[in-house]
Amino acid sequence: MNIPNASTAPSTGEYAGDEISAIVLDPGYSTTRAGFAGEDVPKSVCPSFYGQVDSDGGPRLLFGENAIHNPLGNLHIKNPWGSDGIVEDWETATKVWEYTVTSRLTGTKPGDPAKNGLNESNGDAMEVDIEGLENLEKPLADSPLLMTEPGWNPTKAREKCIEIAMEEWGTPAFFLHKTGVLAAFASGKASGIIIDVGASHTSVTPVLDGMVLKKGVQKSPLAGNFVSNQIRLIFKQNDIPLTPHYMVSSKTQVDAGAPAQAAYKTFDIPPSDSFRRHEEERVLTEFKESVVEVWPGPGRFSNGTNEEIAKAQPGRPFEMPDGWNQVFGAERFKVAEALFDPGAALTDAESSRPKDEHCIPSLIQAALAHVDQDQRPLLLGNIVVTGGSTLLYKFTERLSYEVNAAYPSTRNKLIAPGPVVERKYAAWIGGSILASLGSFHQLWISKKEYEEHGVNIVEKRCR
Amino acid sequence: MASGRDVRDMLGLPVSGEVQKTVVQKRPKLAAPARRIQGVAREVAALYGERPPPVAVYEEKKSYRAKRQNTGPAKRWVQQPFTNQARTDGLVLKHWRRKPAPQPTNSEDTTMEDGENKEPYIENSSEFLKYNIQLDMPTFTDEEYDAHLRSDDWSREETDHLFQMIKDYSYRWAIIWDRYDYRPSNNNTLTVQEPAQDGDSSHALASLPFPPPKTRTVEDMKARFYEISAKLMKLRIPEVEMDADQYARYDMLTKFDPLLERNRKSLASALMNRSMDEVKEEEFLLAELQRINMAANRLDAERAELRARLEAPIPNQQVAAGLQSFTSSQALQALFQQLFQQDRNNKKRASGTGPARLSLSANDIIGTPTSAGHSLMSAANRRQSMAQPPPPTPIRTLAPQEEYRFNVSTHDRLTSGVSFGSDKLLKMRQAKSNVQTQKIAAALQQLGISDIIAIPTSRVGEVFEQLVGKVGKLLDVRKVREKEEGECRVLEAMKAKRDGVEGAGHAERNGGENGEQSVLQDSREGHEEEDEDVDADADEDADGEPDADGEADDDADGEADEDAEGEDEDAEGEDESGVPSRRGTSEAVSTRAMSNAGHKRSASVLSQASSKSSKRVRK
Ligand SMILES: Nc1ncnc2c1ncn2[C@@H]1O[C@H](COP(=O)(O)OP(=O)(O)OP(=O)(O)O)[C@@H](O)[C@H]1O
Ligand SMILES: [Mg+2]
Repeated sequence: MNIPNASTAPSTGEYAGDEISAIVLDPGYSTTRAGFAGEDVPKSVCPSFYGQVDSDGGPRLLFGENAIHNPLGNLHIKNPWGSDGIVEDWETATKVWEYTVTSRLTGTKPGDPAKNGLNESNGDAMEVDIEGLENLEKPLADSPLLMTEPGWNPTKAREKCIEIAMEEWGTPAFFLHKTGVLAAFASGKASGIIIDVGASHTSVTPVLDGMVLKKGVQKSPLAGNFVSNQIRLIFKQNDIPLTPHYMVSSKTQVDAGAPAQAAYKTFDIPPSDSFRRHEEERVLTEFKESVVEVWPGPGRFSNGTNEEIAKAQPGRPFEMPDGWNQVFGAERFKVAEALFDPGAALTDAESSRPKDEHCIPSLIQAALAHVDQDQRPLLLGNIVVTGGSTLLYKFTERLSYEVNAAYPSTRNKLIAPGPVVERKYAAWIGGSILASLGSFHQLWISKKEYEEHGVNIVEKRCR
Repeated sequence: MASGRDVRDMLGLPVSGEVQKTVVQKRPKLAAPARRIQGVAREVAALYGERPPPVAVYEEKKSYRAKRQNTGPAKRWVQQPFTNQARTDGLVLKHWRRKPAPQPTNSEDTTMEDGENKEPYIENSSEFLKYNIQLDMPTFTDEEYDAHLRSDDWSREETDHLFQMIKDYSYRWAIIWDRYDYRPSNNNTLTVQEPAQDGDSSHALASLPFPPPKTRTVEDMKARFYEISAKLMKLRIPEVEMDADQYARYDMLTKFDPLLERNRKSLASALMNRSMDEVKEEEFLLAELQRINMAANRLDAERAELRARLEAPIPNQQVAAGLQSFTSSQALQALFQQLFQQDRNNKKRASGTGPARLSLSANDIIGTPTSAGHSLMSAANRRQSMAQPPPPTPIRTLAPQEEYRFNVSTHDRLTSGVSFGSDKLLKMRQAKSNVQTQKIAAALQQLGISDIIAIPTSRVGEVFEQLVGKVGKLLDVRKVREKEEGECRVLEAMKAKRDGVEGAGHAERNGGENGEQSVLQDSREGHEEEDEDVDADADEDADGEPDADGEADDDADGEADEDAEGEDEDAEGEDESGVPSRRGTSEAVSTRAMSNAGHKRSASVLSQASSKSSKRVRK
């Protein structure tokens, strides 16, 4: 007998839970998340990047973490996503997503709960099979699918999503929901303004009662990838060599700042540039995780004596895969500063100065300006922070400072879940909650409805 | 190693083995009566000494987690297909459910076979039907639209679109406004068809000249929707028939002013967009204000204290006269009374109400020099009031609307004890006399108010009180009216008589004059004693003038016979001061009633008056 307390899960009756083993799929630029609704974290997190090997029999596609980090010759790493958060290459995107779902969740053949050893086989096995027969080759014939989409997803893309789910995957029921709303749900909020800083883009989504206020949705390309580029620039400026892991066979310790002394691997057919770039990205993510810091305020990093204060703080060491290492002082504040202050961005010939309206404070202001006045204080009281790049050290402090500076007279509250998973996978978690609710049953778009109304039903139903 | 003997020696215990034995035997004996406390370590229990603590520190069997109970073999679960009743397309989903228990006679295998042979059972789930909420929207027909709801600014097309949006987004105006995407281009093509449809060219023409892009503000949309709602509401339920809630809603709908709303919003956004400095300044000012308020409270209290001090105790002649005045026993008695009184006052205050507000306010009342009982105030009292802590934190006052919402009511005076709302209502039904009570009951019944009102909240009580008051007035009016009628009757009879008499000759003139006189006297009496019951009047008429009765017989008092028991005591309830005005109204009512209703007077008057009164209630 468990006495209910703050940490025990509520009973399903309390929150109208009723799991129907739906699958929640949350595709992103850097990773694609999938898992069964009702679970805490996505069971399957696969990179959205895929490998393409040009061989004699046409291009061969490789999916999954293991495949794309394997330094094969002629391996090109690609991403089906466009830079604006909309899928460009639908054909491969479908495959990436399908791989994410089938590799860990349903298995290559539709999963049969009666045969996976967890349940004794009995009469039910038959029933399932009989029903599933017609769709047997379809990967999702058994599971309703909830997919996420960015707030500005065009109608074309949405229709494509339902088409893929229904036609190619054979899902019995489908629904499409905005990442912003779901991230808010994951924090237990139905209304709020959601700040999602992912890999390819940053978005600000005002949500009211579980519905996106479309006019207020703002996005900008200043996100994780942008920060990576800033790091590359700073490395270039300071002549810091960036050697990815796969090139190093062994390394020896060297003093800080001293050239690396490592043995490098040689390849008969060297992997492509895109492969190298993707591998470098891993190092950069490591760098982001362990070194980069956001100037927490007050004021911008360039303001007054802030830089001096930053210099006085102890630095953070970083060691490259080849053994090169250094302690990073005030530079570590510079790379992420442009998220808040475009003027501080490092620029070179390829990367120009980002636009003023793309920095996060401007996005928030623009978003709020497009929302009915009466809702603004409510939204500012529920600022949900999500996305992998918000994990940058001191990001929330700075954000909080900027919001309070812009809106001094309202009660602004940042909701930034502490656990890394909850921050990174908020949209998926929200979807998991939603799709496991009994009250959601009536919202699914069923196959029958799809066949009756065609693809544009998604516009009518998933608002 | 010290042997037991050495130890015993050291402790000065007797060495003999016999004693040792007894000690050994004794120990369990001692331990036996002390109940072993469960869940507490033996060492800790030992610290309790002879007597366990009065409150068990932890008596429960130590169990952080209940032992897993063996409930037999593992329960079977099945993926149960089900349909949701909220869906119309019969989508079959599956959820995990306990497998229904097999028949006890069947063995495992047979149930398994059963499962295989059975038609797949599909559960029809209504569990979550309650979440499928439909909202009620005002609806209108084409005729209604054409007759009442037209607008120069909104085409029918767009109005329908707006209504659809409101329905889709469940009155979430912010979202409706956000998603509002009415495309007049669409409209243009449709307006071409429209005249053909409803044959109304003016309508189509009216919608054509608009420039295609039309941005609507939330206020525009709200104004349109509320306007239509109000009009429809009025069409469905005439204004006079709405009940209080409906009328309140109607009132709200008609009073919506988009301009005001827009101004409010711009003010709100101005408030929100203040700069940091302004906000700081406001904060500072607020803090300052609070400080001043606090100081003012304290200052007021101090000043009041000072005033109380300065205002010399009511000059007590006896005191003024010095001790000499207390020589007589009478004077001593008076002094004793006074002191006793003071003492009682003190006690009352000390023992009385709760510590914070009520006692303080009572104190305040006594403490203010203007209050009534100040003659009894003594220095002791004042000292006590001085000892009161500085003024309490300001009591939060609620706006009337908030009070209404949270159902908070303030009372000047609270009666002690508990009283039932239903009792209050019952009391209101009772007048001083039986007859009046019955009349009130009859009137209430006629209004369709049941004897027992289900939830006698204070608000219901208030309304009921008003109603009963009105019924009382109504009854008065009716009474007066009947009296007037009686007079009229008498006068008419007199007139008829006189005509007859004049025609017949002068022989019976005297008798006629007598009759007249008596009638006149009667009526004069009636005028003078307004409180007198009308029925008494009528009775008098009947008694005093048997001949006039014959003509006035059609009045018959059939409907009015609830009044027929002419008891004068009814009149007690009446308010003397209200008589003249009442009379005026009663005349008006009675003449109107006579002119149009004739015989069915009481009923019609009642219904008229009641509709009037209920109208008043609503307004
Ligand atoms: N601990 C960390 N500190 C800083 N950045 C991190 C951290 N962990 C992940 N990131 C960055 O977060 C980004 C991935 O975030 P996320 O998974 O939210 O993106 P996504 O949803 O896949 O992309 P998008 O939302 O743009 O489609 C990557 O750029 C990664 O470098
Ligand atoms: Mg994302």
